[in-house]
Amino acid sequence: MTAEPVAVDVVVVGAGPAGSCAATALARRGHSVILLERGPFAGSKNMYGGVVYPRILDQLHPNWWEEVPIQRWITRRSTMVLTDSQAMTVDFRSQHWADPPYNGATAYRPDFDHWLAQKAEADGVQVVTSTTAVGLLRDEAGRIVGVRTDRPDGDLRASVVIACDGVNSFLAKEAGLFREHQTAADNYTVGVKETIALPRDVIEQRFGVRGREGVDIEILGGTGGVNGGGFVYTNLDTLGVGVVLKLPALAAQQQRPEEIIADLKAHPAIAPLVEGGEVVEYSAHLIPEAGRSMMPTLTTDGMLVAGDAASMCLAAGIWLEGVNFAMASGMYAGEATADALAAGDTSAPGLAGYERRLGDTFVLRDHDKLHRAPGLVLSDRVQHQYPQMIANVVERVFRVDNPQPKPGLRRIVREERKRAGIGIRDLARDAWTGLRSFG
Amino acid sequence: MTDHGTPSHRIVVCWKWVDLEGDARRAGVSAADEAALETALAMTASLDAPTAEVVVVTLGPPETDPVLRRALAAGAHRVVRIDASVDLPSDRVAAALAEAMNDELGGVDIVVCGDYSPDRGSGSVPAFLAAELGAAQALGLIQLTVDGRVDASGAPVVRALRRLDGGRREQLTVTTPAVLSVEGSVATLRRATLAAELAAKQATIDVVPGPRHAEQHADSIRPFRPRTRVVPAPEGQSALDRVRALTAAGATSAHGETVTLDPPDAAARIVSALHEWGYLES
Amino acid sequence: MSRRPEWPEISFQDRMDTTRFDVHERAHIVVDGDTCAGCTTRECVVACPANLFVPTSDGGIVFNYEQCFECGTCYLVCNREGAISWSYPDGGHGVVFRRT
Repeated sequence: MTAEPVAVDVVVVGAGPAGSCAATALARRGHSVILLERGPFAGSKNMYGGVVYPRILDQLHPNWWEEVPIQRWITRRSTMVLTDSQAMTVDFRSQHWADPPYNGATAYRPDFDHWLAQKAEADGVQVVTSTTAVGLLRDEAGRIVGVRTDRPDGDLRASVVIACDGVNSFLAKEAGLFREHQTAADNYTVGVKETIALPRDVIEQRFGVRGREGVDIEILGGTGGVNGGGFVYTNLDTLGVGVVLKLPALAAQQQRPEEIIADLKAHPAIAPLVEGGEVVEYSAHLIPEAGRSMMPTLTTDGMLVAGDAASMCLAAGIWLEGVNFAMASGMYAGEATADALAAGDTSAPGLAGYERRLGDTFVLRDHDKLHRAPGLVLSDRVQHQYPQMIANVVERVFRVDNPQPKPGLRRIVREERKRAGIGIRDLARDAWTGLRSFG
Repeated sequence: MTDHGTPSHRIVVCWKWVDLEGDARRAGVSAADEAALETALAMTASLDAPTAEVVVVTLGPPETDPVLRRALAAGAHRVVRIDASVDLPSDRVAAALAEAMNDELGGVDIVVCGDYSPDRGSGSVPAFLAAELGAAQALGLIQLTVDGRVDASGAPVVRALRRLDGGRREQLTVTTPAVLSVEGSVATLRRATLAAELAAKQATIDVVPGPRHAEQHADSIRPFRPRTRVVPAPEGQSALDRVRALTAAGATSAHGETVTLDPPDAAARIVSALHEWGYLES
Repeated sequence: MSRRPEWPEISFQDRMDTTRFDVHERAHIVVDGDTCAGCTTRECVVACPANLFVPTSDGGIVFNYEQCFECGTCYLVCNREGAISWSYPDGGHGVVFRRT
């Protein structure tokens, strides 16, 4: 028995932050929307490296902070440079971030994403879980007209498909929106994390916070010979401790991800923070790390791509953001689709409002501005030479070598630069790239 | 409540919803319960009666509803949730299920259960339920079919296969009303179609109030200890005599005789002897 | 560097057992043993966070799909065309994260 395929205005694939926001925006404009999720509940396949910045939710869910299931509000933000035996931390604390509208928060993604999907459902979106989209439906002219799911009689027809199917986006790949070099292993890192349980008061003592205040520590170095970074952040009664590892570099050496985490946890600067905790969950996920250069074509006839599926993840050293880019790109995809449906044109030109919105807002502006940052941050010099040089410089500045008089800072920097094997031209070039990106 | 008409046959499936992890998103039923639904759906199909229906009944809070919608999506015609705590003792659960079946469904012919729940309880609800309903029971089945034959009252004849020791099998013909439980390996619950999944989201879940009786439960249970028996002080001049009197040590037992009788007479003789010797009172 | 931590590290299997998997009977990742037999680099063996790729003594690779995070690392690092066929598990199955 073959039933008539189910038909709706829009099918959104993937109930992560991008998909739920896209679906909400469309349902608010009166469209019938099905939001597909392959996990048993929204968020069950998702993990991340620590902090969500939800301010973009002001537009969809005002006063979101009153109900969002977060763990702690970030009031302390540390950037740490690690060598084998040294650690330098820039530590910032602001009580402005302890009150609404807050700045960032730690959360369990299975809780956060589930909440966001429930909000979509409350707005009239039909959320269908435990259902994997396995391919695109096309009409005779080759235009995308829906998706095929893995359920019996699982074809789902829609005027527009919004692919929010995550970093591996098989739909965007099937639609031919990625060029080959954009999906090369070089563009990805893998994030591997332990969730470590500790009593709440122990966490608050070790990290110097109270109530719902929390800490995020981003770490440069500490990942052995593999280019990447580490992180430690506080949940209510657990810590997130993990590493982000560049794929080709990881595959080219012999230390496994969990061993790299074990080494990070044993570092003298990290061990006192995590000691005695019990691992209660272990997780891993890919990160589209290369920013603007790996973004696919965002729009084609009958289909848009948003979130990680469109590589909208900002991994630019001191800024590490993704959920906010997902929520924003999803929301703008939803709005642009609603405009296109109203105008009766869901071809690529009809859907062009999406890219226009992205270009007008932080989503593409941040990425355009920081398009050189991911390469710089993951470069060998930033990864292996600068941390050692910086730590040595600081160590010598603070070392009291009496009866020797204090050396001049300029001399120390020059000597340590040479000792670390960094050419003056490379340093100048990286400084210039850094200035152009971050300045 | 929707009007379901009168079905020609009705198979009731009992599900036990368990929240093992304190997370309703992860709560659900056992593979055996799922197999029970699949078996029931297959049975209605082979009954060749277009109005036959499968009803899933469960006990639980509103968090149970997603699981019931899954049952609807897979093909159950109707679901009933008894609004009650899930940690009632098995006999109370069975009583509540039986009450719902009698009051809400107007009695049942065939009830199919899973033979274990996710929390691996005692598995005794099906047996209690059979007692409550005055039904036959065949539990822990590895095959359960109807072949379209009916008995004199028009009820379908149920054929069942059960494990015996030593790898042997026992083929049963069960008369209705009957409570049957199946192992999890019997069948895999079919996947719902996309359309059924969407329809189930809008479907009505019938909710009936849970047991209305006052709650009673034991606060503590201790092992059986016989009451102290008061023994008169022994007579005797020396301590040794008094110990002998207490323990009857060294005395020849007056009790004991060998008789040869028919069993009924022997039993009567034993009871009267026990009375004589003071082991039984009145 | 490899320091020894001062507290006991958990075994890899205990680590994996902290995460829930609703395993489906269908393997969602299939590894072509013939292709892997000729592979000397074996990027997947070191890179897979779930340690699902195990070398065998006869030069092959044994693959277990059951405790897969569905991350995609393996097919990206693999440099042999077609050695790893990768798809998502059937809807509702596979890894279920809760505290991450």
